[in-house]
Amino acid sequence: MKLFDTIKTANHNLFKSKTRTFLTILAVFIGSFTIIMSNAVNAGVNDFIDKQVASIGGDGFIEVMPATAYNQVADMMQGGAKVKEYDEKSGGSILGANISNADFEKLKSVDGVKNLEVFHMLSTEWMRLQGAEKKYNVNVEYFPISGFNVDLSAGRMPDDNSPAREIIINEDWLEPLGLKNADDAIGQTVEIAIKQTAKCYIQPENCLAIVSGTIVGVQAPGVLTMDGDLHVNKAYDNELYELSMEGIPEASREIYFVIGDVEPDKIEEIRKAYRELGYEFITIDDTVGMIRTFFDAILIVFNIFGGIALLAAAIGIINTLFMSVQERTREIGLMKAMGMGKGSIFFSFSTEAILLGFWGSVFGIIISMVIGTIANNVAHNTFLADFPTFQLVIFNPLNMTVITAIIMLIAFIAGTAPARRAAKKDPIDALRYE
Amino acid sequence: MEKIIEAKNLTKIYGKKSNKFTALKDIDLSIYKGESVAIVGKSGSGKSTLMHLLALLDKPTKGTVYIDGNDASKLKNRDLNKLRNERFGFVFQQFFMNSNDTVLENVLLPLKIAKKGRKERNRLAKDALKVVDLEAKEENKAINLSGGQKQRVCIARAVVNDPQIIFADEPTGNLDSATGDKITDLLFDLNKNKGVTLIIVTHDEDLAKLCGRIIRVSDGQIISDQTVRKDSHQKASERLEKEAARVKKANREK
Ligand SMILES: Nc1ncnc2c1ncn2[C@@H]1O[C@H](COP(=O)(O)OP(=O)(O)OP(=O)(O)O)[C@@H](O)[C@H]1O
Ligand SMILES: [Mg+2]
Repeated sequence: MKLFDTIKTANHNLFKSKTRTFLTILAVFIGSFTIIMSNAVNAGVNDFIDKQVASIGGDGFIEVMPATAYNQVADMMQGGAKVKEYDEKSGGSILGANISNADFEKLKSVDGVKNLEVFHMLSTEWMRLQGAEKKYNVNVEYFPISGFNVDLSAGRMPDDNSPAREIIINEDWLEPLGLKNADDAIGQTVEIAIKQTAKCYIQPENCLAIVSGTIVGVQAPGVLTMDGDLHVNKAYDNELYELSMEGIPEASREIYFVIGDVEPDKIEEIRKAYRELGYEFITIDDTVGMIRTFFDAILIVFNIFGGIALLAAAIGIINTLFMSVQERTREIGLMKAMGMGKGSIFFSFSTEAILLGFWGSVFGIIISMVIGTIANNVAHNTFLADFPTFQLVIFNPLNMTVITAIIMLIAFIAGTAPARRAAKKDPIDALRYE
Repeated sequence: MEKIIEAKNLTKIYGKKSNKFTALKDIDLSIYKGESVAIVGKSGSGKSTLMHLLALLDKPTKGTVYIDGNDASKLKNRDLNKLRNERFGFVFQQFFMNSNDTVLENVLLPLKIAKKGRKERNRLAKDALKVVDLEAKEENKAINLSGGQKQRVCIARAVVNDPQIIFADEPTGNLDSATGDKITDLLFDLNKNKGVTLIIVTHDEDLAKLCGRIIRVSDGQIISDQTVRKDSHQKASERLEKEAARVKKANREK
């Protein structure tokens, strides 16, 4: 038979027993849909991350911590901390691992480090517009923001050299603070309350310090606002920190994290130098890498699900074809009697198997694309409304071709046993079969 | 005369040990080009078995079949397939059609296997259907045909590849005498005008008498081999016409 005839005949034969074929294709479809869809979502997420990383900048931003703390966190993420011998220098807990002032100076002097500052973990209680009744939970932080591209919808970036206390809020805050729009927010005074740790031991009911500051900018939605932390300038941060630490001697204030700005192309040398000093740092890329690893892990899990579904589908294909061979024993005998070779018979049944795989993945592709398009539309009207260029689901033609090819290969392999049985049938026995 | 098929010491044993059944015993037989051979005998005498062995559809337990003087058991699979596809035409006792395919699809199956193009095979299949008077049914599903129509489709399928030898197992078994005559005419016309060798299994004595040679089989053995005329296809054709006229007359009188 000619190739085209074989394919056409195989397809025709498949759709003779519609229900059985449909169910087998459905099984393949479940697998292919799972794989295609999860890959498309993963592609969307990665694309989102890439674009966001490119947009936020911060190439030289590092977050430094003692290696012991870093490793302990890493251990925990890999399934539980291990029992370790006590080491006086690193202390007994993660929080016990802190950075000495001497080390801080050493870290600062490493070549390529432009700026290094102590990161203050501020335990702020609330924020309100000056004179307003309502208070809102708030987290504020300071880091050298100059390396980042922040999208402002009004005002300017906070000035770290200014002695005035400045803050930028994000658009989510406008309504709670009773502000009409972003422009309306500029120049407004806010009050932030912070716990004074030492005082709280003595007077728990009255240990809040209130520090006022000026809103100088409103940030448009973006990655930097996703954690909800508001950005303050150095003066505001210092004031809040000093008040929260009031009564605690300078010497016993511990440094847990150091943040800094380094030359991006020297990051790997700096990492080496820091390791020798017993420190590790995380860059934006590292953080993004962790997010990516997380999504890749999810992808792997989904691909495994898809793979299991395909395995079940392969068994379905084997079963379907064995039934088909059984039913068409006579037809096979007839074709053999008329001079069809073993190879051609094998090939025609294999073609049926391959077609089952093919149709399953084609339907997988079609349904994924329909659902993907709907999902993209829904996302654009809801949670991705602010990111018109982002797509939740991205379909990559090459990816889909490869997936289809793999599924067809699996189907072919599944079809070999029934196809071989068909090819081996003896024409007379097959013709006598009732 | 040119030997086209020769069988030596053909023995066919079905089953094993206690179930052993010898369907054919030591058959020696030569069939010449252009002959029309009838194989007759009681039911179960081994006619179909013999035909299948001669048509190389089955392998003998003992003995050899020669095609054009060559040992068939030594043929390569490929050549064997080609031989059956291009030079043989088959009519099986139980029709054997793909009942869910159309009549046309069934008839063109040998051509499809022969890798003929779509146009050519459609044309040839339609021609073959015209000969058996079924061109009106070409798009019908085979399952919806009457018994006689099915038989005619099988005849069309057997001749569609323009074979040199036609093996027909009870080709008129399911037909009324008028249609049966038509099929008979068709087969003998091929024999007469194209020199097609006919090997017809039948228990219809009238049909057997039309053939140039009658081989009688009983209990797996040839009990008589009667050649009416050696140069069968020339002279037999004249006899055929006479016989056909007689048969038709007899049928009309019935
Ligand atoms: N595959 C088989 N296994 C066992 N016995 C078989 C097989 N095929 C045929 N036989 C036996 O061989 C004998 C000859 O069978 P065959 O089909 O050749 O008879 P036949 O002469 O064609 O009969 P009919 O006129 O009824 O078609 C029968 O007794 C049959 O039962
Ligand atoms: Mg028979």
